[in-house]
Amino acid sequence: MAVVLIRAIILYLIITFSLRLMGKRQLGELQPSELVVTILISNIASVPVEDSSMPMLMGVVPILTLVCLDVIMSAVMLKFPKFRRLMIGSPRVIISQGVILQKEMKRLRYTVDDLIEAMHEEQIFDITQIYYAIVETNGKIHFLKKKDFQAAEKADISCGGSSDDPPAVIIRDGKEDTEQLQFMGLGMGWLHEQLREQQLSISDVFLMTADRNGKNTIIRRQRGL
Amino acid sequence: MNRFIVSIILLCTMAAGCFYSVYLTVNHTNELSSLVDRVEQCHTDGDDEKALEYAKQLESSWNSILHYSILINDLGHAMEITSCIAEISSFAEEGNDELYAACDRAQAQLDLFRQMQTPTLWKIL
Repeated sequence: MAVVLIRAIILYLIITFSLRLMGKRQLGELQPSELVVTILISNIASVPVEDSSMPMLMGVVPILTLVCLDVIMSAVMLKFPKFRRLMIGSPRVIISQGVILQKEMKRLRYTVDDLIEAMHEEQIFDITQIYYAIVETNGKIHFLKKKDFQAAEKADISCGGSSDDPPAVIIRDGKEDTEQLQFMGLGMGWLHEQLREQQLSISDVFLMTADRNGKNTIIRRQRGL
Repeated sequence: MNRFIVSIILLCTMAAGCFYSVYLTVNHTNELSSLVDRVEQCHTDGDDEKALEYAKQLESSWNSILHYSILINDLGHAMEITSCIAEISSFAEEGNDELYAACDRAQAQLDLFRQMQTPTLWKIL
C-alpha cells in the first residue's frame, strides 16, 4: 500500500508540473488537441497507481512526452498559422447580420437545439436579438447582439468611474500587506491615518480594502475569535 | 518560450534515456543469454563444476541488473526470469538434466525481455 501512496504523490506532483508546463489556458479552454492530451494523461496516470507491478516510468514517460509534444505543437502553431488552422481549425460564423447560415451549421453538425442552448447560456432568449454568432475552435459559441439590444456601457452615458483598478486587500486578519499598499500608491502613513480616524489599530481589523483613490472599506475583527 | 525550451530539453532527455535503456537491455540480455549457453554447453560436456561456476555468474549478473529491470519492466516478468535463473543454479549444482529445460525457459524469458524493450515495428504496432 505504501508503494501506491508514494506513487500517487509522485504522479500528483508530475501532473501538476505538467499542467503548469502546458499553461493556464489549459485549465479554462480546451482546444481539441489539449482535450486529447488531458484525457490521455488522466487515463495513463491511473495505470501505475492501480497496478503496482508496473514500473512507474511506464506512466511518467508517456505523460511527460504528451505534455512536451503539446507545448512544442503550440509553439509551432504560433509560428505557422496554416499549421494551426490544420490542427485546430478556425472560428466559423453561423449567424451573420441576423441571418442563420444553415449550410454552415449543417457543415459543423450544429443543431438548432445546440444554438438555442448556447443562447440560453448567454441569457439570450430571443434569436432576433442576435447580429453575429461565431463558433470558436474550442466549440463555444459567442454572440454579438444587435445594437438595440446591447447593454449600455459607461462610455455610452459618459459616466466616469472612480478608479480603473479594483480595490486591493490592505489588511487581512490583522496583518498589513505593504506590497499591496505600495502597489495602490498608498503608504503606511495613509493607513495609520485612516485607522486613527476610526480609532483602530491594525490588529483590530479583520479585512481592509482600498483603491488607488484611497476609498476604503474596513471590517472589524469580532472580539473573542 | 521558456516552456518550449523546457519541453524540448525534457523530450530529448527522455528520448536519450529510453534509447539508452534499449541499448543497456540488449547488452545485458545478450550477456546473460551467452552465460546460459555456456552453462548448457558445460553440462553437455560433462563439466558440471564449470557449469555451476557459470550458473553462479549468471545469477550474480542477473541480480546486478534486477533493479534496473524492475524499473523498466513488469515486476512479474522480472520475477519469472529470477526464478528461471535460480532453477539453473539449482540443477547445475545437482548435475540434473532438467537443466536443459530450465536453460530453454530462461532463454525464452530473456528473449521476451529484450523484445519487449526493443522498438521494432511489430512491437510498436
